[in-house]
Parts: sequence; C-alpha cells; structure tokens
Amino acid sequence: MASEDFTEVPKPSEDFTEVPKPSECERGLAQHEDPSMMIMNKEETAILLSLLKSDLRPIDDVLSEFSSKISRSRNFIVCSSLSVLLQDLVLLRGTDRIIAFAIMYHCYSSQKPSSNPFVSDMITAACNEQVEKSERAFLLHLLQWNSYDNAKEILKQSAADYIKSFDPSTHDFPELGELQREYGDKADPGPSSHIFAEYSLSKLLHDPDVPRGCDPNSPEFDVQPGGNFKIGSGDRDEAISGILGSLTLKGLGPRWIRPCPPRFPVYQSELLWIDPDNKHELVWDDKMCADTSRGATVRDLLVKGLKVTLSPTEQEVITTELANDPKLVYHCGITPRKLPQLVEHNPQIAVEILTKLINSPEIVDYFTALVSMDMSLHSMEVVNRLTTAVELPKEFIRMYITNCISSCENAKQDKYMQNRLVRLVCVFLQSLIRNNIIDVKDLFIEVQAFCIEFSRIREAAGLFRLLKSLE
Amino acid sequence: MDSLSSSDASARDEDSVVLSVTSALAKDALSYFQSAKFAECIDILNQLNHKKPHDPKVLHNMAIAEYIRDGCSNAKELLEALNYVKKQSEELAAAAKEQGEAATPGTNVSVSKDQFDSSVSILNMAVTWFHLHEYTKSLSILQPLYQNILRLDETIVHQICFLLLDSALACRDAVKFLTVFGYMEKTFGVGLGSQEENGSTMQLSSNQVSKTSSLLSSSVVSDTLKSDLTAVESSLCEENLDYDNVLAEIEAEKRMKHVGHIPTNNLLKTLGERSILSVDLKLELQLYKVRFLLLTRNLKLAKREVKHAMNIAQKRDSSMALLLKSQLEYALGNHRKAIKLLLVSGIQKDAGTSGIFNNNLGCIYYQLGKYQTSATLFSKALRDGTSLRKEKPVKLFSLSQDKSLLITYNLGILYLACGKPLLAARCFQEASLVFYRQPLIWLRIAECCTMAHQKGLLEEGITSSDRSEMRVHVIGKGKWRKLMMEENGSVELAGSAKWPKLSLALARVCLSNGLYLLSGLNDSKSDLQSTLPLDIDETKEASSSDHGEANTNSDLKEAKGGMNQAIIQSSLSAFKDIKTRENQFAKQALFANMAYVELELENPIKALSAANSLLQLPDCSKIYAFLGHLYAAEALCLLNRPVDAGAHLSAYLLGQDDFNMPFGQEDFDQWRMNVSYDCEETWDSSTGNARDSVFLKPEESRGTLFADLAALLATQGHYDQAKPLIAHALSILQNNVEATVTAIYIDLMLGSSQDALARLKQCTRVSFVPGTLEVRR
Repeated sequence: MASEDFTEVPKPSEDFTEVPKPSECERGLAQHEDPSMMIMNKEETAILLSLLKSDLRPIDDVLSEFSSKISRSRNFIVCSSLSVLLQDLVLLRGTDRIIAFAIMYHCYSSQKPSSNPFVSDMITAACNEQVEKSERAFLLHLLQWNSYDNAKEILKQSAADYIKSFDPSTHDFPELGELQREYGDKADPGPSSHIFAEYSLSKLLHDPDVPRGCDPNSPEFDVQPGGNFKIGSGDRDEAISGILGSLTLKGLGPRWIRPCPPRFPVYQSELLWIDPDNKHELVWDDKMCADTSRGATVRDLLVKGLKVTLSPTEQEVITTELANDPKLVYHCGITPRKLPQLVEHNPQIAVEILTKLINSPEIVDYFTALVSMDMSLHSMEVVNRLTTAVELPKEFIRMYITNCISSCENAKQDKYMQNRLVRLVCVFLQSLIRNNIIDVKDLFIEVQAFCIEFSRIREAAGLFRLLKSLE
Repeated sequence: MDSLSSSDASARDEDSVVLSVTSALAKDALSYFQSAKFAECIDILNQLNHKKPHDPKVLHNMAIAEYIRDGCSNAKELLEALNYVKKQSEELAAAAKEQGEAATPGTNVSVSKDQFDSSVSILNMAVTWFHLHEYTKSLSILQPLYQNILRLDETIVHQICFLLLDSALACRDAVKFLTVFGYMEKTFGVGLGSQEENGSTMQLSSNQVSKTSSLLSSSVVSDTLKSDLTAVESSLCEENLDYDNVLAEIEAEKRMKHVGHIPTNNLLKTLGERSILSVDLKLELQLYKVRFLLLTRNLKLAKREVKHAMNIAQKRDSSMALLLKSQLEYALGNHRKAIKLLLVSGIQKDAGTSGIFNNNLGCIYYQLGKYQTSATLFSKALRDGTSLRKEKPVKLFSLSQDKSLLITYNLGILYLACGKPLLAARCFQEASLVFYRQPLIWLRIAECCTMAHQKGLLEEGITSSDRSEMRVHVIGKGKWRKLMMEENGSVELAGSAKWPKLSLALARVCLSNGLYLLSGLNDSKSDLQSTLPLDIDETKEASSSDHGEANTNSDLKEAKGGMNQAIIQSSLSAFKDIKTRENQFAKQALFANMAYVELELENPIKALSAANSLLQLPDCSKIYAFLGHLYAAEALCLLNRPVDAGAHLSAYLLGQDDFNMPFGQEDFDQWRMNVSYDCEETWDSSTGNARDSVFLKPEESRGTLFADLAALLATQGHYDQAKPLIAHALSILQNNVEATVTAIYIDLMLGSSQDALARLKQCTRVSFVPGTLEVRR
C-alpha cells in the first residue's frame, strides 16, 4: 500500500527533504538543528555589536577580528541576523551598515558574489533610492559590478573614512533588474526548503506606539550618559542587541492549521466489563497406576474374534461390556486395519462397534477399510445392518455398491462363486432400495447395466423389474 | 509398561502384584493431593517413581503437585514438564500401537491405550496458559483434544469444554464459542428446550421473574439490601451520584454480616466440586448462552435468555445471573438499573470477586461521565487484586482470577479521557502484556504520545526522525514469512525489555504495530472461516468430502439446534459487522494519527503516504477523510507541490469561494457507534462517551479549510484572493493562532502593517513579552 503512494512523490532515495539542498550545504545548515543553536548567543551578540561600532578601524581589521572570534559554522546565522537588521533603514547607523555589509560579503568572499546566499539583500540595498549613495556604491564594489572593482582598496579604510571621502558625483547606479539578471537565480531563493518558509517575511514590525514620523536618528531621545530618563527615550544598542539575541532563522510565514486527530472513541467493547471465570484447576491424572484391566476381557475376546467366530455367550459379554462403558469402544483395540478380519468372523460384533464409533472422526478410516475389503456375504451383511442402524454417508454407500458390482464382474473364473455373489448383491440392492436407503436415480445406469449383464440370474431379473417399476 | 512386555503368564502374575502395590500408593497420593498435603503427596509419588520409573503419569502428577507446593510460581517449569510428559506418552502410544498391529492374531496381546493417553497433560497445559491470560494459546492447545473429545471420559470432557468456552469468550471468538457450545448442548442432553418450551416456562413463572427483576419484592433480597437499594436509588435520583455514598452503603452492608436469604455465592466453586447435576449444567449453559449473546451484542435476545437463566437459578446460585443481568442493563445504557443489579448480585462480599465488582461499577461510572468516581473504583479494584495475590497459600485460581491487567487497561482509558497521558501510557504499557495483540492498545499508546506532545510533556524535542526508528520488513506469508532488516537502523526501540519513554517516534512505532496487527486480522479472518470447523462434524466433512456432505450438514444443524439457528446466525453476522466496522474505524484512526505524527516529525513524504492510504480506505468516515485531505495538502505544501495541495482542499470547495461542511454531526454519531438501544433511562448525551473526544465541530472544520486555503494562496502570492478567505476563517475561528498569523502575513504582504498590528492586538492569544537578551555596555 505504502509503495503505491510513493508513485506520486520522488523515490525515497531522491528524497530531497533528507538531502539538504546545495545552497543549504554551502550555508552549513543542517536539516534538523537544535533550535537553540539557531539563535545567536549572548557572547556572539556582544562581539558583533562591538564590531559594528568600530567605525574608525580599517574595515579589513574588523573583518579579520570577526573571523577570529566567530566560528565559520555560525556565519550563516550571523548574516541572517544582519540581513534582518539591514532591512530596517534607520536601525543601524551609516557606518554600522557599511561594516554589516562588509561582514556579509566577507563570510562568503571565497566564492563568486553570485553564490553568496545574501546577494539579494545586497542587490536590493544597492538599488534602493532611499539608501545613502555611499553605501550603494560600497555594495557595488563588493559585488564587483562593471567598473566597481575597488573593494580591496576600500576595505583598507575605516568605515567612517570611506563615507567621508565618498564623492557621489562620480557614480551612476544600475537598475534593480540589471543586477538581478547579472547575479541570476542565486539572488532568489530564501534560506529554507519549502514554500511556507520560502515566502516567509521578516518578523520585525514597527511598534505602533512609536510615532511613524519619529526620527530615531535625532539625538533628542537618546539616552544621555548620566542624564535623566525621558519618556520615549531609547537606546539603539539595546534594541539591536535585543533583536540579534532573539532572531531565529525562520521568518514569519502563513501558518497551516493542523488539527490533531480526535481521540478514538471508547466503544463499549473496549472498556472491559469483567465476569468471573469458572474455576479451572489443574487436573490430577487418576489413571496413574490404575488398573489397566479395564476392558481387558473385551480386548482379549476381540483378539480371539479376529480369528474365529465367537460363541453366543462370548458375543453377549462383549455387547454388555460395550454398553456399560460407552468409551470402551475407543479402547477395545479394533483398528481399521483389523476391521476386515472381525467382519469376516463376527459381523454382528463389527456392526456393534461401528455403530458406536459412528460419531468419531476416525469412522472414515473404518469405512474405507470396509469398502476396500474383499466382497463377501459378511461384509454385505455388515453394511446392510449398518444402513438400518445409523445414517451412513451417501458417498460411502455409493462406493460400496460400485465395488460390489465390479467384484461380480471380476469373478469370472469361478462361475459358481460369481453366481453366488451376483445373487447376494441383488438381494442387498433390493433391500437398500426397499428401505429407501439409496436413491435409485443416483445409480440407475450402473445398476441397470449390471442387471442386463447378469440377466440369466433370477435375482438380477427381479432387481431389474424393481428398477423398472420405480421408473 | 507392564502389560506391554507381558506375554507369558508368570510375568503377568508379577505384574499384578506390582500393580496392586502401586495402585494403593496412587490412591494415597491422590488423597494427599486432595487434602492439599503436597509434601506427603510428593513423597509417595517419588516411591512410585522408583517402582515404575519413567511412567509418564507419575511424572505428570509429580509436576502438578510440585507446582502447587511451590506456590504456583514457576509456570514455565510446569509447562516444560507437561510437554515432556505429553511427548513421552505419545511416543509410548505409538510404540504400543506398532507392536499391537504387528502382533500376530492369536497371541493374546491386548493393549489399553489409557495408560499412554496424554489428554490430561494437554488439558493441564491449556489450564496453565489460561491462568497466564494467554487465551489464544489455551484455545489452540485444546483444539486437538476437542476433535477427539468423544473418546475421552465425561469428567475431563466437561473441563475441556468449559475451558474452551471461557477461552473463546476471553478471545471474543464467537465462532469457536458457538461450536463448542453447540456440542455441549447436544451431548450433555440437558435439553435447554425448544423455543416454545422456553416460552411456556417463562410465562408460567413470569410473575416470579418480574418480581426478581423488580428486585425489591423478591424473596431472595434481604432487608438490608432493600435499604441499600433505596438509598442508592434516591442518591441516583438526586443526580447526586457520589462515590462515597455508594461506598458507604456497601460498607454498611458488609458490617451487617451474613443475612439469611442472600443468594449464596457459588461463583468460586471448582468445576470438580460442582456436582454435575443436570440442573447445574443447565444453568451453567444458560449463563454461557447469555454471555455469548452479550458478546455478540444481541441484547434483545440476551434480555429474554437472562430471564430464563434467572428462572433456573431461582433459590440456587443466582449471583452470576444477576451479574449478567447487570451487564445487560449496562450495555443497554440503563446505568442505574445496572448499579442496582450489581449490588444485588452480592459479588462485592467475596474477596475473590470484590475487584470485579469495583471494576464493573467503575465502568458504569465511566459511562456516566463521572471520571473521578470511576478512577477511585478502578484503583480500589486493583488493590483488591493485590491483596488477593498476597493470600497464602497462593491458589492457582487466584492467579487466573487476577484481572489486574484488565483493570489496568480500563484505568488507562480513564486517564486518557481525563487528559493524563503519562499515567495512561504507563497503564497501557503494563496491560500490553495481555493485550499486545490488540491493535487498539497501540493506537491508545500513540494517543498518549501525541497528547503528551501537545501538552509539552515530552522531554526531548523533535528527534531526528530516522535515527530513532528501526524498520523490519515482513515479507511473504505463512511458512515463507521472512523478516528483512533495513540497514542504518539503531536498535533503540526493539528488544529492550523496558518501555521507551513517550515520544512522537514511539507513537509512530506504535501506530505501525497497530496497522500491522489490523492487516493481519483481516488475513486471519479468512483463515478463521476456513478453519472454523473446530466442530467435529465439520472436520469430518473436511477429511471425507467424498463420503457424504448432506449428512454432515444435518449434523451441523443438530449441533447448533439448541438455540434457534436463524437467530444465532443473524447475531453472529451482526457481531461480525460490528467488529468489521470497529476495525475499519480503528484503521482510519491509525492512518490519520500516522499522518499527523509524521507531519509533527517533519517528515512530509511519510505523512503524505499515510494520508493517501487513509483516503484510499473504502468507506472512510467523513471525519477522517477531512483529516486525510488536510494532512495530504499540508504534506504536499511542504514538498513544494502547491497545486496538488490545492486539489485536496478544493474537494470541499463550493463554488468559487465557499466551502461545504466537510462532515456533519451525524458522522460523529456513526463514528462513535452510538446505537440507540431501547434505553429506558434518559441521560444527558453530553456526558460520557459524547464528550469523550474533543474535536473540531463541523463549522470549525469549515473554518479550517478557509484558513488553510488562504495560507496556500498566500504562499503563491495571491494575497487578494487569500484576504477574504482568511477573514472568513477568522470569523469562524476567532482566536485561532495559525489563522491570525496567516492573516497578519497577508496584511504585511499587502503593505498594511497597521491592520496586522490591529490583529495582533485583537487576538487574545498574543502575549507581548519583554526582550530576553540584555547586553548593556
């Protein structure tokens, strides 16, 4: 069942959720990372904050300090946080922004600019009219766009010096589209693998209580060292470190409602009502060392009965013993193999035993023995008596009759014996038909053929007439 | 042994001397055994063992006596010993048979098969398994004995049949029960009477019956009980169903000591002690008939038959009949009546059955929605069980009567209903010793996991999905069945004796266990039908198909003739229907939970596969179909297939921008299998089962569709389309966090962050927390 379902989705081996996308590999993002590792820790935040503020040191210097203090594996997380900060145009000072972008560039400087995961941030800022021209030019240098290839030189200056020495008149700025074409597809995908996250937004919102027109850059509401606290005053660094400290990689996306399946109802059969059981104790085997003579007389007599015809008294002993102990018949030693001998010498006893065994599952074997033994007066007598005593399986009777008929046909060499047999079979069949034991229709053709073959014998002719009268 | 080698007369004489000595010893051993003097008994058995070394029957009795002497502690050893005896007997029997066959007629060799008969040891093995609550094993061991039951002595036949009936009931195997029951009715000839006859006796004594059923005027009920009942009844009437009240009543009654006419509680008699009077047997069979009807939930007929049972039981032991009557009323939803009858049955008075009483009362209170009381009762029932186990000397019987694992299961259900997943899981895990083959218990444990997950009670977060799981593929069927291990698996969950802690990964394992068992159940169902002929007549048919089918068929009819054939068949098939439906629902629940858990584990491919399996199930309930579509859509979104995801949601779309109700209230009723019996007591349907499971109302599910479609559209940039949808969703699901977040996202994307902020303020489930990190210069 499950395998069918995979027809709709890529084969498990191509399962792309399990194998991180190439871009993710570059960013060093494992699939299921510890959530606490996805946030910058206190120490990292402090380092980053102080680096951003080093506007008077050469940028190269700042960058090498960054590399030495922040592990490479954390680069992606740091850059993502910076990306969020940079999206707000006033949160960071101009120099801070320059350093921030420089770090972003530096983290992935070993690769082509187009494979930098944050290239889209850089492009967007470079084309944004609201961004200072110095910053936009700085970005174009980092991106090595057309004539801007002076990154190395610029990075030797401090951020403050760069802004101060910047001459806006010498620059022209490209359109957003142009840059996007240049840096291609890489400028597009976000950090995550599925659409909810792909379309996720920055989680940072403007607080409604801060008036829209308020310029946080004006020194009016800055906290003055040692000064009195003013309503509305705020500390830029506190905000920045707060944001850095709680940013996670995931952005804000639309959320899917995933209802939990309802608890399975408790059907009446599940809650267990208990009834006491009957008391089932271990059973002592009282046959231990018991008198094994139970039925010994019968067994001995029956062994004798396989050889010779028993006297009427002996027969009576057997009949009474069997009647007294209904289970004795199962232990009397007459097996299907021995049955034919008993039938030949003591048909009455055989009938007695078979009648008692009729409900046993082994009766089938006894029937088989009876069908396959040589045809004789006694076997026929046994079957005939059985038919009146118990209900025999139809199939068995059918088979027995077929056997009788073929025995007659096979006894060709001894005409006398054959005649005798045929007469016996005819009488047997007449008795069965008269007693409604068999349905003539079942055997009509077979019996009719038999009658015609042996029509010279009186009994066969009689049977034929009986058949015709029933027709 | 002896008669085997004895062919000459002198040997026979010697034998008879030995025989008289040993049989005298055997008698002594038996009498010591019966008077529970096991040490003396074993002494004698040792002497016997010297005289007749390796006699299987001596070894057999020795094993039994030693087992009981040692406080029934080592069932494994007993089973091994019995198995050894059985094999030995069979070998000897085979050897004897060969010799007997080979013997030339005339040499007077006669062999009694009695001495090599292993049926007693087989029965004892089944009894032991039964006491270990391994009912299926007990059934399968007894099956060959049952097939040869005609050749066995009547006493042992009784024991085999009753054990079969109890095992079949415990396995809820109605078919097997019925074959054995039919045989017993036929053979023991107690003649439960034709339906007409039943009817007339019923009419004759209908006066008495009504008396007993009204219980207050019946002569068998004592005055104390009367006052109890009125007290209980009044407390019930006041809807002031207080557990303490009931308990106080019971205690009061206990203190009254024994009062004259309370029906003597015969439940705990051994079968052996029970004189097999035909009336006893008649009552016994009648009680089993009622239990069968209750099992197959043919309550109408059960009502009639239990009356009949009360008739037979009059002035005899009616406690069991009353207990069954109480169960019937419980099943009918007449809880007050059920409580009354339970009290009158008097089973609370016996230490052996007081646990059962408390458990059953707990079930009733659960259905009434009184979880607190129910919990107290179940715990009390468990305590009763422990005290029973501490009793010295340990009786084997108290082992089987120890229903603590069943009660523990009930307690688990209760804890789950009360929202205590950790406690519930512990109960289920304990009960799994007995119920591990039931798919439902796995579903329940998984539910514990998800509930604990939702409540934040799980210790670990999302564990890496594939590391905590080991997969073993079951390939092939029957003798060709092979297990294939998947590489890269760790062995964390498999093979450890201790249950792992609750986790979503555990939930997943449990759910696949449940699904596996359910699919096996379907397979074995067909097996069952083909092996149905536990009935001897049918085995005969199987082995002698060429000997006569008509005959066996008529036998079959006879065998089951005691109860009206048509009624029995219809209640059997009705029972099968109920079972099938329950299993269908269970399967749907398992798949739905699986999809949910996989989503929670961030495994959209597996989630999608489970959701698709769910949706492909025939006759899937609308509730689960809704969940299936929702889970599939979400998984597809996570797999970047928004168009396919949209297809799942638009299945419910009505026109351009409205949704149908995914399911209605009636679907809940169907799902809970609320069948309206002729319940006499009206009770608020909001109590009990109805409030069992909290789930989205139909309207809320519609809101969910709006919200999810909005989220889907938003991810594709169709904000204008998404906006009215999410507004609609929020009008239904006012405080839903997910919907609010989606709405905010859409607002932001449309550039109206003011609206987004307004939403944040409106939603009562948003909390503004101060920034966490402070880095000050």
